[in-house]
Amino acid sequence: MNIRQAVKMAWKSIIGKKGRSMLTMLGVIIGIAAVMTIVSVMSGYAAKTMEQFSAMGSNKITVNVYSYVYTEDENGNMVPAGRDYFPDLYAYCKSIPQYIVGITPEAYASVNVVYGTKNSANFEWSWDEMGNMTGQRPPDVYYVSNQYSTCNNLTITKGRDLGELDIERYNQVCVLGSQAAEAFFDAADPVGKVLQLNGQSFEVVGVYAPRITGSDAQGSTIDNIILLPYTARRLLGGDRIESFIVKAKDGVSTTEVATRIRGFLKGLVDPATGDSYVSPDDRWQQSMNEQMGMISLVLGGIAAISLLVGGIGIMNIMLVTVTERTREIGIRRAIGAQRSSIVTQFLIEAAMLCGIGGIIGIAIGTLGCYVAGNLLFHMTIYPSASVTAGALGFSVLLGLIFGSYPAIKASKLQPVEALRAE
Amino acid sequence: MANLIELKDIYKIYGEGLESEVRALDGVSLTVERGEFVAIVGQSGSGKSTMMNVLGCLDIPTRGDYLLEGTDVKELTDKELSRIRNKEIGFIFQQYNLIQSLTVLENVELPLIYQGINADDRYDMALEALDRVGLSKRVKHKPTEMSGGQQQRVAIARAIATKPPIIMADEPTGALDSRTGHEVLEFLQQLNREGTTVILITHDNGIAATARRCVRLTDGKIVEDKQQEVDWL
Repeated sequence: MNIRQAVKMAWKSIIGKKGRSMLTMLGVIIGIAAVMTIVSVMSGYAAKTMEQFSAMGSNKITVNVYSYVYTEDENGNMVPAGRDYFPDLYAYCKSIPQYIVGITPEAYASVNVVYGTKNSANFEWSWDEMGNMTGQRPPDVYYVSNQYSTCNNLTITKGRDLGELDIERYNQVCVLGSQAAEAFFDAADPVGKVLQLNGQSFEVVGVYAPRITGSDAQGSTIDNIILLPYTARRLLGGDRIESFIVKAKDGVSTTEVATRIRGFLKGLVDPATGDSYVSPDDRWQQSMNEQMGMISLVLGGIAAISLLVGGIGIMNIMLVTVTERTREIGIRRAIGAQRSSIVTQFLIEAAMLCGIGGIIGIAIGTLGCYVAGNLLFHMTIYPSASVTAGALGFSVLLGLIFGSYPAIKASKLQPVEALRAE
Repeated sequence: MANLIELKDIYKIYGEGLESEVRALDGVSLTVERGEFVAIVGQSGSGKSTMMNVLGCLDIPTRGDYLLEGTDVKELTDKELSRIRNKEIGFIFQQYNLIQSLTVLENVELPLIYQGINADDRYDMALEALDRVGLSKRVKHKPTEMSGGQQQRVAIARAIATKPPIIMADEPTGALDSRTGHEVLEFLQQLNREGTTVILITHDNGIAATARRCVRLTDGKIVEDKQQEVDWL
């Protein structure tokens, strides 16, 4: 007996008892639909989160070049020994644009910001119990290079960005993030205005476009920033900058870029006074992946249990079917069916039941993805082709696994005993 | 050439060794040659159905040798036994034993499916068999929509569809009225005239009398084995 005949027979037997077949399939339908929805929604959620990460700038590598020897300068202050390696590092990064988009110091500058009657020292803010911020936080002021905006996905909306010359010439200029601009100038155009930073005048040359808008911006201070050329440190004070952010090009491995930078710094930094440390900054992604993994595991476990129960349901009904059709099995054996033909017949019937259940489950799961995606993340999620194919394959496999015991039981019946059954 | 069927000292004992042991076959030896028409007759409980099950390779005797065309069936695998039931023997049962969920045509095609014959040839062969029993017009019906006599004719068509050399009929007229029963008997006689070996199991002495050879069973033993004159040859 060939497979085609067995499939035909199985189809007849399934169609012959529509109501029961439907009930039998229910477990598989629910299980597959649940798995489909969970897997797709989780991957949709992950994609959404990654989108937010890349809004802040992904592909980052943290570079630390530090001294562990300190010397006294002419004013009697303790300062790190050895020279500042950043200009060399900056030049190196610029020389390999095929790997690196930009490099910038990211050093917090502890300065007081004043414009007219507004003084950041007098800003007041608080969080309510929901975690929403009220009032105004003082802006974060950073010493940066002209490549900070490139590294952090900032685009200029008014005026101009920081330039290399601003750094070289110690220009007293700054660029504002959208929230900082609003805090000091409300709706007015800040470009050309002068801020007092620790009493020194800095001209606002540009304003960045907001990176996060709408409800996502609630409580976020990502755009509440003021960027200064890092050479302004000479005027405003602060320790030598030892921590830098490098942004790798899209599609380039951050690990590879980190290796290159390490190699460069090894030949540069004097081991007698300092050392360097380079690490691809994928902590966020890692912890995100870990979290997603946990949630997927728990939800997947629940779905797997429902599939297991569905499979046992299939086995149960197939056993009943075998008992009911004992006489039929006897007749088939009497007219020449081999054991293997009987096994094939019942296995295929179970696999088809599960397969059909799987297809219905996939349809419901697809609908589930659509609804859940729209309700939870305001995005339309469809299951991927691999998830769909996997679900179908798994449901057929389920039928084969749970159908095998009843099928083997059916084939073990002695023809004469089977014929005697009523 | 070896005898078609040779039973040597066959026992079929249920619950052997127990006080309640039943000897359905109690040392039966029998030889059947090609082309014979043998009636195995006996009262209910005489062991005649067990005899048919053993002869039809549906049941395994407790002891003794059964040589079918010189081959000891004890040595055969399930696959080989299935092949024998499929190709060498056509079964006709008292209760017809048709599969109710299949149509008449599908029932008759079933042994051909297990032979692996392709759909076109299968259809032709099944239709030819149904034509012989006069049911070629009712192939799409389900067995439940037919009378007992018609169902038995479908069963006969199924038995002869593979053109087996042996037909085994277990009380084929038992569930039928005398006229349709007579038709079934005549059909078996026709098959025998064409060379098919027929083994007919019955409790009815009248039916047994129409066979060319009559083997009488009592309590699992052969008590009579005689050739008979018949009028249908």
